[in-house]
Amino acid sequence: MSTVDLETYVPHIDHQYDPRDPEVALYVDEVSVRFGGVQAVSAATIACLAGQVTGLIGPNGAGKTTTFNVITGLEAPTSGKVFLGNEDVSGLTPYKRARKGLARTFQRLEVFGTLTARDNILAAAEFRRGWSKDKSNPRAVADQIVERVGLQHVQHERVDMLPTGLARLVELGRGLATHPRVLLLDEPASGLDMAESEALGDLLIDLAQEGIAVLVVEHDVDLVMRVCDRIHVLDFGRIISVGFPKDVQADPAVQAAYLGAED
Amino acid sequence: MDQLLQLTVVGLVVGCVYALTATGLVVTYTTSGIFNFAHGAIGMLGAFSYWQLTVKWHWPVLLALPVVLLVLAPLFGATIERIVMRPLHGASVDVTLVITLGLLLFFLGAANYFWDQGQTRVLPELLASWKPVDIGGVVVTWGQIIIVLAAVGVAIGLRFLFSTTRIGIAMRGVVDDPDLCAMSGASPARIQQLSWAIGAGLAALAGILVAPKVGMSALQLTLLVINGYAAALFGRLKSLPRTAVGGLLLGLLVSYYPVYVAPHLPFSTTFGQLEKAVPMIFLGVLLLFLPSARLRTATTVGRVAPTVPGLRQSLAGGGVMIVLAIALASALSSANLLIAGGMFISALSLLSLVLLTGYSGQTSLCVLTFFGLGAFAMAHSGTSPLGLVWGGLLAAAAGMLVALVTARLRGLYLALATFAFAKGMDVGFFNFKLGSGQSLQLKRFELPLIDTSSEKTFFFLTVVVFVVAAIGVLAVRRGRWGRQLTALNDSPAACATLGVNTTITKVVVFTASAGIAGVAGAMFGAQQEIITPSQFDVLGSLALLLALRIGGINTITGALFGAFTIGLFPEMPQILGHFGVTLPDKVQLTFLLTGIAAISIGRDPDGLGGQVSKLGLRLRQQFGSSSTPAAPSYEEATLVHG
Ligand SMILES: Nc1ncnc2c1ncn2[C@@H]1O[C@H](COP(=O)(O)OP(=O)(O)OP(=O)(O)O)[C@@H](O)[C@H]1O
Ligand SMILES: [Mg+2]
Repeated sequence: MSTVDLETYVPHIDHQYDPRDPEVALYVDEVSVRFGGVQAVSAATIACLAGQVTGLIGPNGAGKTTTFNVITGLEAPTSGKVFLGNEDVSGLTPYKRARKGLARTFQRLEVFGTLTARDNILAAAEFRRGWSKDKSNPRAVADQIVERVGLQHVQHERVDMLPTGLARLVELGRGLATHPRVLLLDEPASGLDMAESEALGDLLIDLAQEGIAVLVVEHDVDLVMRVCDRIHVLDFGRIISVGFPKDVQADPAVQAAYLGAED
Repeated sequence: MDQLLQLTVVGLVVGCVYALTATGLVVTYTTSGIFNFAHGAIGMLGAFSYWQLTVKWHWPVLLALPVVLLVLAPLFGATIERIVMRPLHGASVDVTLVITLGLLLFFLGAANYFWDQGQTRVLPELLASWKPVDIGGVVVTWGQIIIVLAAVGVAIGLRFLFSTTRIGIAMRGVVDDPDLCAMSGASPARIQQLSWAIGAGLAALAGILVAPKVGMSALQLTLLVINGYAAALFGRLKSLPRTAVGGLLLGLLVSYYPVYVAPHLPFSTTFGQLEKAVPMIFLGVLLLFLPSARLRTATTVGRVAPTVPGLRQSLAGGGVMIVLAIALASALSSANLLIAGGMFISALSLLSLVLLTGYSGQTSLCVLTFFGLGAFAMAHSGTSPLGLVWGGLLAAAAGMLVALVTARLRGLYLALATFAFAKGMDVGFFNFKLGSGQSLQLKRFELPLIDTSSEKTFFFLTVVVFVVAAIGVLAVRRGRWGRQLTALNDSPAACATLGVNTTITKVVVFTASAGIAGVAGAMFGAQQEIITPSQFDVLGSLALLLALRIGGINTITGALFGAFTIGLFPEMPQILGHFGVTLPDKVQLTFLLTGIAAISIGRDPDGLGGQVSKLGLRLRQQFGSSSTPAAPSYEEATLVHG
């Protein structure tokens, strides 16, 4: 059961940052979500900085995907707020948040299955051209991204024919085609082999260096330790630890959560 | 005061019937996850079988009633479950919708086959010989009392079943958690079969109870039971008590409406005419208040993206078709040209569904409503060819309105909403604007230099309009818009998180699609020179959607194939007559055959068009693609790779 005592639990707030700090690209402010009897997320606070890869880890069912859904507006929180680039976007619909520079991938794939890999990315580039002032040629954007995420060899394959790992890369490419400022990745490496997952790690670091705030949910501990600048740990919907990868790894509460989850 | 009491009693009695039918629907839905559009038709079949036993074969009521309600109807429901529904296990809403709509049409066709609708039949009310009783100044017949007693009895019976019996408790659990249910030792298949049996029994009960009042018309009975769907929606398709309340509310509303509601509304005569549309308006309003469904992905598993011809290919195809049209025009008689032209007009209206349902994945059961609006506009345009434009615009405006109102709805709920719209327009607009059962005369539009009054010329013109529209639709499909529609079909959630305002996309595609259907309708009016309300009725829309589904929902071939089959079905008796095969005249072959075809092929999301597309691909792979002049589109490239 829960490794945190419910009675004495105080929601962990990331006091180090404030939603209005200029370097904060995404701020999840004490978000809670309840599904009937299940408290999926409890007052979780997460800060993601521009130019950094932030990790969001935790055992199965901890509430990571639900948090992503709240950030992107697909799920309404029971309470709490979401700030994008210092602006409160809690009341906005998903597409409006996307237009403010938020992109994501899905743990349970949401690809455009009947389109080719390239057309998935092209469609996203065209969407962006439709709603942004940037009128760069979507086809050029698509070709460039196909190469960047390493999909040239399958770009003309229908995506529902692709293995999951590659389909996840399609989703990543699709997100990139909207030129996001904040990129949420839900288990992007699951389904990838060692080499592919390493390439993905390099790509994430690159993206962060370009100034994107990357928030990644991932079960591959090595990858997380390698690419993340800071990590938040969710357990039963609560943030139980925040900090540098090394510190989080050494945190007894984190170890207890993972051990608890294993029996 | 007396009047109020009287109307209340009538309303409650009708409400009980609605509650009964809706209850059956909900029991089936909660347990099997399938919304049975054929529920109304099952009720109708129940009433007809009961008539057959009691009136035709003179069975005593006390024998016939249990035989129909406890044996025939439940067996029928269980059989449908076993043969048609069980293999669908886990199929998408889209597929179950097509199958149950196919059943609906099939049952209607079957009823027309067995019970000649030209003949009048009377089903006496139950206990008609008993003296009506006076309750507080209101005269109540025993037939009415029985309806109320039946409803109360069913409510108590189901309550007992679901709360105390093991199988009933398992039924409640089966949707929430089939695995848990399996653990408890009950077989989910068995439980679902039971739910279909109960559903069919309740439908039959409702059918038998209302038939004396409504009359033994297969169509009217089916539609009346369908009115009960609104009550089911009041219970959100989940709660039986709420469903019962919904039924009673609907009954009261229908009963009070002409006396207490309509006269107090502005435009009271217009609203008075809408009396029969009340259940559908009720349904529509309920749909609007449904909690917003979460954005979810559609299942795309197994769907092929059929080869989309390039511009050169589609121009070439169009050219071939026009040449063929010229040849046909000189070969066919005027009467046959009318039929052939009608097929191309149907194909044109199916193009609107290719765009809407095939590409963007939104089910619409009201294509003929837009079609009818087009014809209506044409009728008011005299001989001006602008009638085509007005027809398109009027239909497009209606389409936009429907899309705006239903923006939040998807899948089953969108289907229900468009169904309600179509049926509401049937009874509330077409029947009274065109005159019930009557017809409206039109003049064919005139063009400079072209003699449109010649059937040959008009046929040729029809084909040209179709070809232009088809080339246009294909061009849309290949372009940015086509990708956006496909994307919306494949994953609305992903579209939203990529910045797409999905509502606007939906509204635009709905408007465009309705516009095409409107132009088709205007052509139809001009071609026929006379229109009647029944040409635009909701069942025709269902048949069209199913025909397209059979042909292949997202291909031009599918539209042509669907239009030809649906155009040929009614001609079958005559055609087969040439070969010495005689079919009973009154058989509504369209319904029968479309229904059966939809049931058998509905499971294949690609329809025949998809099969042809796959076959063509295999042939091309076999013999090399050197014979294809145009460069392959992306879709082709994919298929060749995969
Ligand atoms: N739509 C929903 N309705 C009810 N409960 C839900 C819903 N979505 C998620 N949950 C529950 O909320 C909790 C958190 O789920 P979530 O998917 O966010 O976890 P997660 O951390 O992403 O897990 P995983 O690592 O398995 O992906 C779980 O207990 C889950 O069962
Ligand atoms: Mg998850």
